This record gives sequence, structure tokens and C-alpha cells, in this order.
Amino acid sequence: MYDMIFKRGRSNLKSKSKVLVRIILLFAIIPFLIIGCGKKAETSDTKKKVLILGFDGMDPIILRKMMDEGRMPNFKKLAEEGSFKELQTSNPPQSPVAWSNFITGMNPGGHGIFDFVHRDPKTLFPYLSTSRTEAGKKSITIGDWVIPLESGKVELLRHGKSFWEILQSKGVPCTVYMIPSNFPPVECEAKTLSGMGTPDMLGTYGTFSYYSNVEPEMENGEISGGKYYEVYVKRNTVKAKIYGPKNTFRKGAPDCTVDFTVYIDPENPVAKIVLPNKEIFLKEGEWSEWIRIDFELIPYLQSVSGICRFYLKEVHPDFKLYVTPININPEDPALPISTPPDFSKELFENVGYFYTQGMPEDTKALSSGIFDDGEFIKQITLVHEEEVRNYHYLLSQFKSGLLFYYFSSTDQNAHMFWRLHDKNHPAFNQESYDKYGDVLEKVYEEMDDILGYTLKRIDDNTTLIIMSDHGFAPFYYSFNINTWLLNNGYVALIDPSKQGEEELFANVDWSRTKAYVLGLNALYINLAGREANGIVSPGDEYNQLVDELVEKLKKVVDPKTGKKVFRNVYKRDDIYSGPYVKDAPDILLGFARGYRISWEASLGKFPKELITDNMEAWSGDHCMAPEEVPGIILSNKKIVKENPALYDIAPTLLAEFGFEKEKEMVGSNIF
Amino acid sequence: MFGGAKIKIDKELLAKVKKYADIAGYSSAEEFITHTIEKEIAKLEEADSEEDIKKKLQGLGYIS
Repeated sequence: MYDMIFKRGRSNLKSKSKVLVRIILLFAIIPFLIIGCGKKAETSDTKKKVLILGFDGMDPIILRKMMDEGRMPNFKKLAEEGSFKELQTSNPPQSPVAWSNFITGMNPGGHGIFDFVHRDPKTLFPYLSTSRTEAGKKSITIGDWVIPLESGKVELLRHGKSFWEILQSKGVPCTVYMIPSNFPPVECEAKTLSGMGTPDMLGTYGTFSYYSNVEPEMENGEISGGKYYEVYVKRNTVKAKIYGPKNTFRKGAPDCTVDFTVYIDPENPVAKIVLPNKEIFLKEGEWSEWIRIDFELIPYLQSVSGICRFYLKEVHPDFKLYVTPININPEDPALPISTPPDFSKELFENVGYFYTQGMPEDTKALSSGIFDDGEFIKQITLVHEEEVRNYHYLLSQFKSGLLFYYFSSTDQNAHMFWRLHDKNHPAFNQESYDKYGDVLEKVYEEMDDILGYTLKRIDDNTTLIIMSDHGFAPFYYSFNINTWLLNNGYVALIDPSKQGEEELFANVDWSRTKAYVLGLNALYINLAGREANGIVSPGDEYNQLVDELVEKLKKVVDPKTGKKVFRNVYKRDDIYSGPYVKDAPDILLGFARGYRISWEASLGKFPKELITDNMEAWSGDHCMAPEEVPGIILSNKKIVKENPALYDIAPTLLAEFGFEKEKEMVGSNIF
Repeated sequence: MFGGAKIKIDKELLAKVKKYADIAGYSSAEEFITHTIEKEIAKLEEADSEEDIKKKLQGLGYIS
């Protein structure tokens, strides 16, 4: 993956071989192949300004209740003087899908994003739906070194023009901060920083490191979303390594590593962490600042940097150290995270380091027990403080055109703390409630403060839009949809005695399987000519099977509660339009409030039980029927459109600056 | 062939191999076959394992 890094040489080369390598590298750099914006346009100052604040997952029910209780005075003021409506979300209501609707003014049939996870029909391997990374194919080997002769490719998979590309090309200056579904950022003149979907330096969507002399609780020797490194405390000293990207310049592509040493105070709960260029002193329970880590790929010639923060969880009696995922360094990014490429550096120079990884709240550290509730709250507070700091900077620079700014805390917080917000939740815990029962509402209050700050700083020429991509609901029960398919004869296993053990459909007999589920709301038919081992014929057999499944699923009832598991089940042709409908899942699963696909079924497992209580910290969700989880929209202008939807916003933004909507857009102006 | 090991190839396919090895500038059909197989194996070696795929996606939170 990282043979596509931006090159940073040093001038002290002496040997001929190094010069040769350098020459090869200079010729090797090929521009990233990402979707272009078309022709460059001059921008001009506009008297008109549009400011959009996107609060991921802000829920209308919670918001109304808190407004009624007097806890959201600025939202109440905006609703009374302007407008407040529910915003129809995407189908399915998952963030990458929803934000793509918002960005393009189209439904998923137009932009091609249908789920967090898509699958390759030929291999059934899952991948993140919004981007794809490929290593360069051509290289030359000199001794132990593998020198790439072409750069890799990182590609945005979302189709359709974004509203900021269109506006910028018409002369309206745009700044778009951390919008999801835009990694790598679509190349254009606008100032943009990528958000959800931006990987860490390992190429994952967040892998933390945990160093301890005490093994944590793990499943199959693994921590989901993290990595445990066993360390030994010898004479109050711990030696360990930070693991970076794979060094594709070396044969066998070993991991890049940086050594560090921790000196523990024998009596006091403090430690000194010594890195190659930095020493950090931390107390137990304290976080470090961001630390730059340089991984050397080719000595003196090629290196790549990332950033991370250390959290010293415990010093005595045991040693416990958490390190954030190694984030792409905004000062010197290893992958494209902004347009123009130096915009992330501009941000760094004005505000300092910040999380660049998409969805940086470390929900996995809480789920796995590495963080307790209090520690997780501290970590999301750090994320939020950065969001606010960066927002203040960008708002101070906003003189003309359009500014979009994204806040993630409303979403990640509701995922993790619904169990404290809702006493009916199976994972409700009185002790945690007594300590942190108000945490979800407190985050909403933070957003009210942001709105108050904003209202004081905008002028009469500014249209303000506050919106969310979806709302929220409890996630009480996990439904093993693949197990339902198995129990109802749509799936056959090779070895039924191994049911529940294999992942990614490893135990499935495709010659006798008609349908399968992968992702969070997507059901696929095992279609002949599309899936590698498809057995369902296109045409009548396909149509009959889809109709049968939709009808049967709509009737599924949870015997424990007597409630229907699905609020609605949709055929793709009934809900999507556009050139990419052919790539959509055949059936979309609209779970009823309280139900979600199980953890296991989303990656092709077949647990024995059909419905289980969700006892995880991840206790709230929105991957349900869109009717269950609408988002919110508020504005200082009157919204006249009935039932405004996410895909109406892009045409609205164009109209605000006096432009017609694009012909592909299915939405329309809400004002 | 192949360091002493013999592999059976369909006659029609072998004719195609010879034809395209020549067009592509390989010195022999054997060299062409060896290079093609090496390329395919490299592709498979590069591909993410199931474990890699799972690890990549776990950070999203929605998947365990």
C-alpha cells in the first residue's frame, strides 16, 4: 500500500547505488489516479455565503425532547426564527450512503454506494465501499531492496459530481472539512479534507496498540480493532516497538518499526517514554500530545511519517499503555487527504496536529475493555476539542462562498452510550448510569454551544443549515439473517457440524445456496452469471425468489417480544434510480427499531441462534429502516418543501448561489 | 520443463502459447509460461487474506 508514499529525499547521498535508486524513484512517481474535477475555474468572492454544519447521527426525537427541556437554547432559537424539520435519510441509513446522497443530490443508484461494505461477486470478499487501494505492479529488485517503477493507486469509488466541485467550477470558493465518503478527496480547486473512510497508516480503519505485561481478554487471541503486544517489565524498564506500515521497499514487505523504551518510576505512578526524537513524561491516566513518528523505508533516502498519542493507563502494579492508531500526518501526508495537497499542512500550521483517521473515536478500545467508560469519554472529548478548535479556525477564515464542517461525536457517542440513555436496553448498567447517565445529552449540549458560537459570528448574507445524515435508535437485539436463510432452505452448508465456526462463507455450499447477506443491510441473490458460483437464473426465477424473500422477511416475528423484526424490506428497483442500480444489493433490509443485523452475520457467519440480546457497549445504531431513523435539518431560512430529504440539499446549495441543479440530481430546492 | 517436472497442456492452448510468446518477444514458450505463472502467483500472494480483510474493517465499529 505504501509504495505510493510521497517522496522525501535527503541530499547527503554519496554512494553511486543511492544515486541510482534516487534517479529510479524520481522517474517512478506517477500521479494518483483519482477522479478529476474537470477544468480549473477562477473563483471570485461572493457576497452570498452558505454555512452547513453536519452533526453525524443527530436524532430528532432526542433533539426535540432536549429543546422542550430548555437544554438546547440555540437550537430552539434557530427552530423558532427559521425552521426545523425531520430530514429523510438514505436507504439504507448508513453514513457512507447518506453522505453520498447529500454530496451528489442522487440516491445510491446514482452514486453507487449501498453499504459500508461491498463485496466482489466473484470472490465474495468484502471491502470498504467508498475507496480502493492498489499497490503499484511494476518494480525492480536491487539486492534486498524492491524499488517501485510506478506508484500505487488509491481510488474514490463514489460516483457523481459533488456540490463543491460544481460550485467551485462556477467561481464559488468552497471549503469542505472532513466530509465522509470523500477519500481520497476528489481532485479540485476547493479546499477539502477527507473524513470517514480515511485509513490509518496500517491501511485499516483504525487499529490501536496496547502494551501490557498482563494479557487482556481476547477472542481467539485477538482484540477487534486493536493489537495487543506483550511486554516485560525488567528493572522498571519496558522495551517495545511501534508498528507502522509494511515496507514494500524491502523483500517480503516486513513491518516498519520504531523502538521505544519506557522507564517506570519505582514508587510513583509516572513513567518516561523515550522515542528516537522525543521524551514524554506521563502520569497514570494521562494522555500525551500528538507525537510524530518517522518510519524509515530506505536509509537516508525514503521515510514516511505518522502521528499518534500515548495514554498511560496503569503503571503499578501492572504496566498498561494504549497508543492510538498511527494517523496519517497532516503536516506531511503519506496518502492524499486534502485538496489542494497542502491544505492539510495549512491546517496543521494553524491549529497543530489532529486526528486524520475517519471516525477517530476509539469505540473498539471501549468494546474490548481496554478503555472503561470514563477513559472512552476522555478520548472522545479529545477528538471533540480538536473538532471545535479546527472549526473556530476555519470559521475565522470564512469570508465568502461555502463552508461545510463535520462533527462526529453525536454519532459515535450514541452508538456507545445508548445503553445508559435507555433503561430498557439489555446492556443497561445502573452503576455506569449513576456515573455517566447524561453523557449522550451532554454531547448534544456541546453542539448547542457550537451553534451559539456560530450564530454570533454570521452575517445577514449567510444561509445557515444544520443537518444530520440520520437519526438514532436502540440496538437491543441482533438478528442472524444468514442463519434465517439457512433455516429456511436458502443456504446449504458443506459441513453442518461446523455451523458458526467459519467466517466469510467458508462453509457454504454455493451449488445449493440461493441467497446470502454481507454488510449491514444488504441481501444478495446467488445469481448465475454474476456470482462466481451463481445458481439462480436471471429473469423469472430471480424475480420470484426476490418476491418470495421480501414477503417472508416482512412476516418474521421475534418470538420473545412478539414484534416484527423488519419494518420494511425493499426491492432495489423500487427504491433506486440511476446507472449503478445494477451494482446494488438485490434486497435492502429495513430492520425495525430495536433490531439490527448481528455482528456475525455482517461478515458471512452462521451462528446457531437466530436472535440474541445485544450486550455490547455498541448499543445504539441506525442501520435500520430509513423510516425509523430520519435525521434533522434546521435553517435560518424557511424550509417550504414537505419531507425534505438528504438528496435535496445539493440542489438547494446550487440554488442558493443562483445555479440550476445538475440533470442527474433527483432532489430539489427546499427553500 | 519446469526444473524437470512435466506439465500437460492442451494442444490448442500450447499452439496459442507458442504464437503469443513469439509476438510478445519471449525467447521460448517455456519462458512465457513461467513468467505468466509467476505473475499470477504474485497476484495471489498480494491479495489480502480473510484475516487482513476483517482487521481492516473492524475499526469501523459496526463489525466485530
